Amino acid sequence: MAVAQPVGVYEREDLLTGCQAVAEGIRLANVDVIAAYPIRPYTEVMDAISKIIADGKLDAEYIVADSEHSQFEIVKHAASVGARAFAGSSGTGWMYGFEALVVTATDRLPVLFLVGNRALDDPGAFGVEHNDALAIRDMGWLLCWVATAQEALEHVLLGYRIAEDKRVMMPMALAMDGAFLTHSQHIVRIPSQEAVNRFLPPFDLAERRLHPDNPVSIAPQVNEDWVMEIRRQNWEAARRARGVITAAYEEFNQVFGPRYKPPYYFEEFQTEDAEVVLVGMGTVAMPARTAVRRLREQGHRVGYVNLRWFRPFPTLELRDCLRRFRAVGVIDRDFAHGAPDDGGVLLHEVRSCLYPLRERPAVVNFITGLGGRDVSIQDAIRMYEITQEAARKDRLDGFVTWVGVRE
Amino acid sequence: MIKRVEINYRGIFQKTLAKKIGGDIVMIASRMGQVGFSNGRYSDAPERNGIPCKYFAFVSPDLSEEELEAECGAKLDIDEANISVVLDDTMVKGVEPWAWHGVRPINEKVVPYGHMLVVSRRKPEDLVRFMARKPYPYYLALLEGDTSFAGLWVYRDDLTHERVLGALAGLDPQLLSIEAVKSYLWEKTHEQHRVDAAQQAFESVRQNIYEVTPAQGIDWPYEIPKLPKWYEFSEGVVVKGVPREFHLGPKGQSRNQLFKRGTTKSQRPVVRFDLCTKCTLCWLECPDQCFDPTPDGYYDVDYEYCVGCGKCAEVCPVQECIVMVDELAFEDNRSPWEHWKQDPEGYVRWAEEKKGKYRVLPNVVTGTGARVVEVEPVPVGGKPKPAARAGA
Amino acid sequence: MSTAEKVLVYDRIKGVKQIPLEEFYTSGHRTCQGCESATVMRQFIKAAGPRTVVAGSTGCMYVANTSYMTTPWIVPWMHTQLGAGGSSAVGMAAGLRALMRKNRIPQEKINVISFCGDLGGGDMGLSGISGALQTDYDLLIIMYDNESAANTDIQATGLTTWGAQTTFSPVGRVRRIMHRRWKKNVAAMLAVGHPNCRYVATACATFPPLDFLNKVRKALSVGGPTFIHTYDPCPKGWDFHPRYSHELGELGVRSGLLPLYEIIDGQVVYTYDARKTAKGRIPVREYLSRQGRFAHLTEEDIAYIQRMVDEMWDEWEVPGVAPFRGNLKVPA
Repeated sequence: MAVAQPVGVYEREDLLTGCQAVAEGIRLANVDVIAAYPIRPYTEVMDAISKIIADGKLDAEYIVADSEHSQFEIVKHAASVGARAFAGSSGTGWMYGFEALVVTATDRLPVLFLVGNRALDDPGAFGVEHNDALAIRDMGWLLCWVATAQEALEHVLLGYRIAEDKRVMMPMALAMDGAFLTHSQHIVRIPSQEAVNRFLPPFDLAERRLHPDNPVSIAPQVNEDWVMEIRRQNWEAARRARGVITAAYEEFNQVFGPRYKPPYYFEEFQTEDAEVVLVGMGTVAMPARTAVRRLREQGHRVGYVNLRWFRPFPTLELRDCLRRFRAVGVIDRDFAHGAPDDGGVLLHEVRSCLYPLRERPAVVNFITGLGGRDVSIQDAIRMYEITQEAARKDRLDGFVTWVGVRE
Repeated sequence: MIKRVEINYRGIFQKTLAKKIGGDIVMIASRMGQVGFSNGRYSDAPERNGIPCKYFAFVSPDLSEEELEAECGAKLDIDEANISVVLDDTMVKGVEPWAWHGVRPINEKVVPYGHMLVVSRRKPEDLVRFMARKPYPYYLALLEGDTSFAGLWVYRDDLTHERVLGALAGLDPQLLSIEAVKSYLWEKTHEQHRVDAAQQAFESVRQNIYEVTPAQGIDWPYEIPKLPKWYEFSEGVVVKGVPREFHLGPKGQSRNQLFKRGTTKSQRPVVRFDLCTKCTLCWLECPDQCFDPTPDGYYDVDYEYCVGCGKCAEVCPVQECIVMVDELAFEDNRSPWEHWKQDPEGYVRWAEEKKGKYRVLPNVVTGTGARVVEVEPVPVGGKPKPAARAGA
Repeated sequence: MSTAEKVLVYDRIKGVKQIPLEEFYTSGHRTCQGCESATVMRQFIKAAGPRTVVAGSTGCMYVANTSYMTTPWIVPWMHTQLGAGGSSAVGMAAGLRALMRKNRIPQEKINVISFCGDLGGGDMGLSGISGALQTDYDLLIIMYDNESAANTDIQATGLTTWGAQTTFSPVGRVRRIMHRRWKKNVAAMLAVGHPNCRYVATACATFPPLDFLNKVRKALSVGGPTFIHTYDPCPKGWDFHPRYSHELGELGVRSGLLPLYEIIDGQVVYTYDARKTAKGRIPVREYLSRQGRFAHLTEEDIAYIQRMVDEMWDEWEVPGVAPFRGNLKVPA
């Protein structure tokens, strides 16, 4: 990752957890309103922000809400008057306020949320699982996973840039694996305010903002004469978002140096001559990439695709990427009980994306790492082996393997 | 063959009645060996007092239930009605159930040679003069009776339900035979007077069927709004507020142009400006902001928006100053204050003629009856007298 | 006027002729004939004026006012969720404060008002309102109470009067009274629980004249978060002819079942104290008998309601407001 960058872009380095890195991003983005409510493992971002505000490093309203539902509604309404707003949650807390999350998208308000991925209740469990953030996937949200603290900070800035673009105007969920990223500390290079100001324009809700000088009515009740057209508009916005995402990364690279490689939605690791790849989201990238290095030492041609953007899904780009391989193993750090072939959420997305091809790679699925269970390098190696086996077979009997469960 | 029956009714006040009629159409038709189902119009709900609503019943003598459902089910509205029942005759002035719908003719869906059954004490010409001209003939059938209103909890059992069923049998014996209607009512209630009411209506309606020709009726004066395409309106579910505009005088206050609501009313307030003490209460208490303050301190009524609740008449402290009068007595929505200013004595004569001699004061609980009082009209220049209040 | 009232500086409407004539919530909405909640909407924004932003939560005053893809609002208005009456007000107030402080919009007093129904305010949204009343934002939350979940066609809520018929509490052959909960005392509950909240009031839109208008003005002038609970006779849900909406409000207040008061900086000021009128409180029967939703009540039921109302006014330490009972009647 050590690349030469323009002078004066980064002002210092610091040892930060994923949560703290997001807090720095919030500071740099000059967010106006933050609503906090505690739930492990995302809470630390709010601790960090409150300290930033208390020390005078950020001028913002900071409200401790009475519940996640109130928390999410507060930031939604702050955005409606034209304020840049931030909130976040994890697991069951995210579910508590789900109603508010859905309407924020249909109201087309570009609020940023941190989702510290956590297993859903019941039973209560704090460990990482992706189902919380994934639950929002159909509603018209931007949704992306970051795998490092550096990425986390930068995706706060990218997030606001993309979400607030007039062609997009969708809320964004920035997902981050609980514990493994929220709580582990890494060295992060912190951009200067001046550089951020060059990249991120101010938030302008224009003729939609609620203010006495702009008398509008937002979200009147509708019936069957209107819903379909409104959905069509929002569907279109999600499609337009793809082009905006690309543009945003290019602008980012111009200001901060070539941090991200096209196509930006995902990052390939040693895939140039690979026969077989695994695809995953979040911190599972680490054991997977280590497994790639070890297997390559033994002559296996394997690679890893780290998917960053889940919504909008990079259909064309991912199809063009994965079609080159003989087999693809999809890692799901989530569950989808009773789904087709009993596969996880990401499996279905990847399969669907590959379906139009006449010649497709074999696709297998791994359900792993649920509820905070480690995904070890050994686990990753096993996943590669199973995927390689799928590449050799003419026909697959089973698609799904649970990796790491006691059986 | 499919028979589509629509029941036009006033929301809440006739909700139970319409549902009973619609439901019983299906029950009785089914006993005759036909298939059927019924439903309300989804977008009408939640119903509001007075708003025009529709209930539907679909019946077929020959299709299977599945086929009937396929044709008529999973749909929110109908395209054509073989019989259109109208439970409140003031609805013939047009119906506007929600914004962007427009004020539409009551006979919009009636098919050629179809029937419009109206519960009314009026003559056919009194009704047809408000109805839209259709390019083909249809029938207007009158069932003599008062409009039956009741609230949600206390049902008004005035036999309107039974009589409408009897009348339907009179209009289309294949749809409902009078024998089936009577035996159904007897089985359900064992009350002869209900059976008799149906029979009586069956006989009387057949003496009261009139053909309405394409020459009769009016050119419909209201435009139907055109719904925009998905890319023709703002994203983010945002609409512009009503523009801010206010000056004294008729229509001085800006109002929502997309939804006028005047067709919600069965009655409208007639104002004796010459008796008015300018207390402001009618204007202040109107839930629909229909009064326009005038430069000389009076309060004009914008009848396009008045929904006929009667609150103004009730709170007015002056006897005979505001009186509610049946909507069918009025041809237009002319500003009453302007009318009075232009011709003070003529206006009072006009007002008193509309009001007539009798005042009907409904009991507080809807549908439980009313007091009818005969009054002496107050002459021009008469002294305002304090009104009695229902709470007293 | 009380001491508290004398101290509070606000633009008081002194007579009916001084009521602002302009409307900011205008004709062309789908509310019932005689809807008092619509009257509440009209009056509060008339009192507040055009430099206001409004959020309205799901309920009659949302669905009936904006059906469909239309609006009767002249001031800026936004929909919010059923239980978000409190949080929406906080969000708007916080956003405006931040933008003004950061000089992104001009500094000025902008009224922030959120409304919710009895379901959204007294039941679902209570925690959000409580949170809002603890902040230091200038905002007003209005809970318009028509004693039912009216928009879903009349179901019981925590603020429905005991014994009332609703679709969740029908009169049955075996169980005649299904709704046995006594009306929740929301305004007083909020006042007691939020000592820094400077203004809490109950009001009836049309009785006494000017009262609600001035209460809104007081709430918007006092500073900090405020709350008003309005009693809205509902012709659809309560079953009475729409023309009598005003009567029902007046009767409810005169009977003592609907206490009218305001609490300003901890001082209780009775707007209408039936005990001080010549006839005293009118019997609740006169109010109940005028509503079809109570048509099934027996003498025993009415006597029970009368007893509860008598207790409210004769035995509570703060009559009509707070159900604290002193030991004054217990002999030493």
